[in-house]
Amino acid sequence: MFPTDLISRRQALSRTAVGFGSLALASLLANDAQAAPAIVDPLAPKAPHFPARAKRVIFLFMKGGPSHLDTFDPKPLLDRDDGKPLPFAKPRVQFAPTGNLLKSPWKFQQHGESGSWVSELFPHFAKCVDDACFIHSVHGTNPAHGGALLKLHTGSDNFVRPSMGSWVTYGLGTENKDLPAFITICPTLAHGGINNWSSAFLPAVYQGMPLGNASVPSDKAQVRYIANANLPRDVQRLQLDRLRAMNLQHQAQSGPEPALEARINSFELAFRMQTEMPQVENIADESLETQKLYGMDDPITANFGRMCLMARRFAERGVRFIQVTHSDGNVQWDQHGNLKAGHEKNAREVDRPIAGLMQDLKARGLLEDTLVWWGGEFGRTPTVEGGSNGRDHNPEGFTMWLAGGGTKPGYHHGATDDYGYYAAQDKVHIHDLHATILHLLGLNHEKLTYRYAGRDFRLTDVEGNVVHQIMKT
Amino acid sequence: MPTKFLLFVAATVLCLPNSASAEDISFNRDVRPILSEYCFACHGFDAKQRKADLRLDVAEGAYAERDGDTPLKPGNLMESELWLRVISDNPEEVMPPPATKKKLTAEQKETLRKWIEQGAKYQKHWAFEVPVKPTEPAVKNSAWAKNPVDRFILARLEKANLTPRPEANRSTLIRRVAFALTGLPPTPAEVAEYEADQTPQAYDNMVDRFLKSPRYGEEMARSWLDIARYADTHGMHLDNERSMWAYRDWVIKSFNDNKPFDQFTIEQLAGDLLPNPTKDQLVATGFNRCNVTTSEGGSIEAEFTYRYAVDRTSTMIESWMGLTGGCAVCHDHKFDPISQREFYSLYSFFYSAADPAMDRNATTTDPFYKLFTDETTAALTKAQAEEAEAKRLLEDVVSKVEYQDPSTQQPAPERRAVEEVWLDDLVPMAAKATCTSRNASLWSTAPEVEPPIGRRALKQIGAANYQDKFETPTQPLRIPEAAKVFVWVRLDTQEPPDAIMVELGSAAGARKAIWGDPQRFSATRMDKNWLGELPAAGTWTRLEIPLEKLDIKPGEEIRSLAFSQFGGITWWDGLTVTGDTTPATDLRSSFAAWWKDRTGKDTLGLPADLTPVLKDGPEKNPTADLREKLLRFYLAYIARPANPDVQQRLTAWLTAQTVRAAIEESVPGTFIFKNLDQPREAFVMLRGQYDKPGEKVEPAVPAIFPALQKSAPDARASRLDLAKWLLAPEHPLTARVTVNRVWQQFLGTGLVKTSSDFGSQGEVPSHPELLDWLAVWYRENGWNTKALVKLMVTSATFRQDAHVTPDLLKVDPENRLYARGPRFRLDAEQIRDNVLYVSGLINLQMGGRGIKGYQPPNIWEPVGYADSNTRFYLQDHGADLYRRSIYAFLKRTAPPPFMSNFDAPNREQACARRERSNTPLQALQLMNDTQHFEAARAFGERIVTEGGNTPEERITFAYRVVLSRQPQPEELAIVKQALDSYLIRFNKDPEAAKKVVAVGESKPKSGRPEPELAAYTLLANLVLNLDETVMRN
Repeated sequence: MFPTDLISRRQALSRTAVGFGSLALASLLANDAQAAPAIVDPLAPKAPHFPARAKRVIFLFMKGGPSHLDTFDPKPLLDRDDGKPLPFAKPRVQFAPTGNLLKSPWKFQQHGESGSWVSELFPHFAKCVDDACFIHSVHGTNPAHGGALLKLHTGSDNFVRPSMGSWVTYGLGTENKDLPAFITICPTLAHGGINNWSSAFLPAVYQGMPLGNASVPSDKAQVRYIANANLPRDVQRLQLDRLRAMNLQHQAQSGPEPALEARINSFELAFRMQTEMPQVENIADESLETQKLYGMDDPITANFGRMCLMARRFAERGVRFIQVTHSDGNVQWDQHGNLKAGHEKNAREVDRPIAGLMQDLKARGLLEDTLVWWGGEFGRTPTVEGGSNGRDHNPEGFTMWLAGGGTKPGYHHGATDDYGYYAAQDKVHIHDLHATILHLLGLNHEKLTYRYAGRDFRLTDVEGNVVHQIMKT
Repeated sequence: MPTKFLLFVAATVLCLPNSASAEDISFNRDVRPILSEYCFACHGFDAKQRKADLRLDVAEGAYAERDGDTPLKPGNLMESELWLRVISDNPEEVMPPPATKKKLTAEQKETLRKWIEQGAKYQKHWAFEVPVKPTEPAVKNSAWAKNPVDRFILARLEKANLTPRPEANRSTLIRRVAFALTGLPPTPAEVAEYEADQTPQAYDNMVDRFLKSPRYGEEMARSWLDIARYADTHGMHLDNERSMWAYRDWVIKSFNDNKPFDQFTIEQLAGDLLPNPTKDQLVATGFNRCNVTTSEGGSIEAEFTYRYAVDRTSTMIESWMGLTGGCAVCHDHKFDPISQREFYSLYSFFYSAADPAMDRNATTTDPFYKLFTDETTAALTKAQAEEAEAKRLLEDVVSKVEYQDPSTQQPAPERRAVEEVWLDDLVPMAAKATCTSRNASLWSTAPEVEPPIGRRALKQIGAANYQDKFETPTQPLRIPEAAKVFVWVRLDTQEPPDAIMVELGSAAGARKAIWGDPQRFSATRMDKNWLGELPAAGTWTRLEIPLEKLDIKPGEEIRSLAFSQFGGITWWDGLTVTGDTTPATDLRSSFAAWWKDRTGKDTLGLPADLTPVLKDGPEKNPTADLREKLLRFYLAYIARPANPDVQQRLTAWLTAQTVRAAIEESVPGTFIFKNLDQPREAFVMLRGQYDKPGEKVEPAVPAIFPALQKSAPDARASRLDLAKWLLAPEHPLTARVTVNRVWQQFLGTGLVKTSSDFGSQGEVPSHPELLDWLAVWYRENGWNTKALVKLMVTSATFRQDAHVTPDLLKVDPENRLYARGPRFRLDAEQIRDNVLYVSGLINLQMGGRGIKGYQPPNIWEPVGYADSNTRFYLQDHGADLYRRSIYAFLKRTAPPPFMSNFDAPNREQACARRERSNTPLQALQLMNDTQHFEAARAFGERIVTEGGNTPEERITFAYRVVLSRQPQPEELAIVKQALDSYLIRFNKDPEAAKKVVAVGESKPKSGRPEPELAAYTLLANLVLNLDETVMRN
């Protein structure tokens, strides 16, 4: 039964799909419901709990705290009372002391049929507001980057918990066997770093695959170990065919081992990834027009533009959860001082690429079932920090927006108070946001559980209310 | 969920083989898991969450009549309200309530029915009953059993009508044992020795040889370091380096010395409280310093003091008691009998820790213990004495100097040339030295580098903007006339920085002199303080700092010197100033000028009585005595040496100081644990919030466990009492938890699969009697770990062949019954060490600071903070690249990928059991990692040079070295064919061969043709990546 001759590539691949091992095992175990789960491919697509509105997520993460007061949440009273004290108490826990009210240095205008307010920081995205669904009343619990980042990504700011992408992959599996199910493009390694895309106690197959990181330009972003600089590809292919032949031969001796079968498959996926990842990353086959749409023609927007374009390419290939991080090696959206120049630089880098992504997804019909999610780990204070040109961290109330994937277009949900300090109306906690996003993906956040250390864990811990109002009816 | 389903399956298949028969129902085995899963959340131990005031976790609650109903009426099904609720169709009545989305299966209901009918007897949760050594069970095939372990295993197999597999062949056995005990494969010589030994003790002898190897301690330490959450960085914010490796080495040594587990426990939890603790006992307390810490600005100290104590408490509970303590941080544990108050009583053992809430981002956060040896102590004592003597001699010669102040001389002395060294071997006198590493400045001596002047040179390594800054308040550093400033610098060849910078600070601000990439210091090539490209690496270069270009004027007083480099390794030495001075006004020639200059200013570094004299100025007319004393101080330490004698003695004193400082700095140290002198008051923290203290608590243990014996009845219970309590014969958990982990290590899965949860939510043991037998045996044998290990690995159970049949896979997919030998994937460290070992590259040097091997680029660099001292990954070179993996430097926020890829934990919290995952990233690593591929190259060369002359001989050699066996003819054929095709390929393409052979820093030594080496590299790579190679069979 073992191959005495070399197995051809073709034969080898045919064995991948319904190979000796899997066939033999499947027949062995066909009548055994108890043992069967042990060899189920953990990444095979799984049915959601109920019909999904979104099949995948693109999370545009603005590392730090983009100021809601200077982007999407204008406050007339803040303009009026510039320089005066905040007329109510500041939160008990503040990150740093702040002074009096500081009006936004940018002008706001209404855009689109929805009449959505957008400041002059986002002139391109302003054209897409009728596709976006703004939540102005997001709030979290942690005023420091580390805790807030972990809370946003994992639902917990002090324990090591699986990240949201891992939960989604665990719940839904993946539709592309040649690519990882959860990819995070240029993630920040600070403030929890790998814990923000780790699978924690979920099986490791659900962990995110980092592509580069925040201090690497996106055209240099790579998956670790993706290539062997010292070995030609054809030789490696030969090598893998031999390895497979030898492993199968060994399996014939040692008896059916699910782990061995899985290892053979993981070598194959790795090899396919080596082919597939560079193809997705290589955007040369995109038309110049498309590249331009994402701002690839401008050195200021090219870096983030490439990330957004890669995100679309991953999305159309069925990757389940794609995170794109906008940050340099430090905390990019963190203008404790230098608000004017800092936010202008940040917004300029992302505005065109984001608008391009929205238009492109829409034109390709992908926006229907792709949930785009934009935000940072918190907003900023309406009160000034430092001299006259800075704002502190503010987890008490801030804006995020969603688009596509079954969200209500051109809709605004919730509100902060008159000065934009606290979420005041229809408050949406980070847990609620998580529950809502899972819901859009067809997952019940209370049912998506994993048994660990004696209890069933959830992304939303014991919290979370689905915000049905933001969903398309 | 599928997992829950599996869990249930495991419990029924393995533990309730006959649950459908009329056999007696056991509460702990059969019923408790059901009640715990479905009932206890609302009707259990946690009083706050309890519904309807009903408890089902204790008989008193369940038997008591309430409003005419009785939850459980022993023997009477239809009068037991619990049963009626369970079978009810009414959604208002049925239990568990539909809202919980939990539903009992028919089988579970059946179990409850039988239990009630048989009298609804309760037992304490099995893990809280003191283990009693059971009698060894009778077995049919008693000849199979090699020791009592086997009788328990066999009894269970016979009950399930399974027969054990035959003993594996010798080559499989020795490879299994070698990996289990040393983490490395056996050498062909070791295999031959074992195969040649035909005595009945051959196997035992072989095991003994590996138990004696120093590699044994390294292998055993890995799992314990996972528990201890050992790492080389603090973990939060900057995630800077910490010096703790002495603790890691202590763990290795303890296993090699076979330190009994009770001692091992006491020394780690309370070594500091032992009478006259030894050095090793103090090092051992590092266990409680391995937790993650922070020093982030704005952090609330009370919060972190609290969090560290919670971490230490939870870690102790998990590591020794196998329970999850975390639940009780915020509320009474819902499933296990640990109330919140009891958790905080345990916490108060750790709450008085002496370490600060903020770790200062330093490598040496207190309490820090310097690891002096007899030699270093003696050397330091001698150096201190010599320094004192040199100082005395200097002051003596100065006392004889006849001094005439040049400012009073007529005619005034002429302008003269001077040369001053502002930075040599020592920080300038009384200077405030700061370093971006948060640690003391580093100094190198020969042979690391040969300093151009003096005995040592300032060393900089690592982070982005790494800076040593010296503020010089005492020694006046004045720019002379016609001054020139020079500095020696040397850049590392392998890790040169991007840029270097010297800053001279005065009242006019800091003036920067930059070489290399100016952007690294926010400048451009157009700026006038950009002085050119970097000097050549690997040699000392004397750089001139052009003062005019930097707008530094004669007479300017320099108050600070700063040296910076960006992202590499740099040495600095001898910042030297030459020029002319006018003695009458020169602060280092004229006492009067100096005194006048310092008048009204604070000057550091003077004897206490002179400080005010200097500041008050000469006008205040101090006593002649004080004036004379100040003059002599000036002549000794400030002024230019008055004559060659003073010069010589000053130099001698500076040298003595340098020698003393170098000895002090060369002595490494480690974090240890200590109590504050005055214990902190501890409180229950409401809802687990650091700022919500509730009731006050004293150190105590939970009521469900045996009482704690205190050293004196009215004494406050100590950590030493706690450690002894864990080891008391009547403690139900410590021995069980420990033997279970060892079993898990050798057999693949614990007898209790949830090795960190022995509570009622954990899995019940697959072989409860065996677990208890082992626990009691271990304790009765003096907690002798090597004996326990030997007992396990010499058992017939361990020695079975691992072949699995389809039938067996169906009955026991996870091998929980042990009807076959253990077979599982090697751990991360073993995978790396294996290839280094067989390739001959390995360097078996033990101990010391963590090493930094190959890793893909940009893993550390982006971790946020420019001034973290672990921002830049500076890979080691040479022999350190091939050290064993246990010595790899572990940065918590960016652990070595070869470790995390293969499921090694990042050591942020205790980890009692690693996953064994299978991911494409692992395959990518095995295919493409430099370390792995370099090892294949080295192994390929070994195959060619040591493996004989024909391809067949060489392939056989490769198999014998890696798999400890001969290849089968079919395997030989496949591999031979592969080799031929590689040879053809590389002979046609010598460029490709050259590239293959060039991998890594080691170089081929044999001089064989590159195509041949390349082909054998691939052959080696093939064998090293075989499933059989990465498995422990």
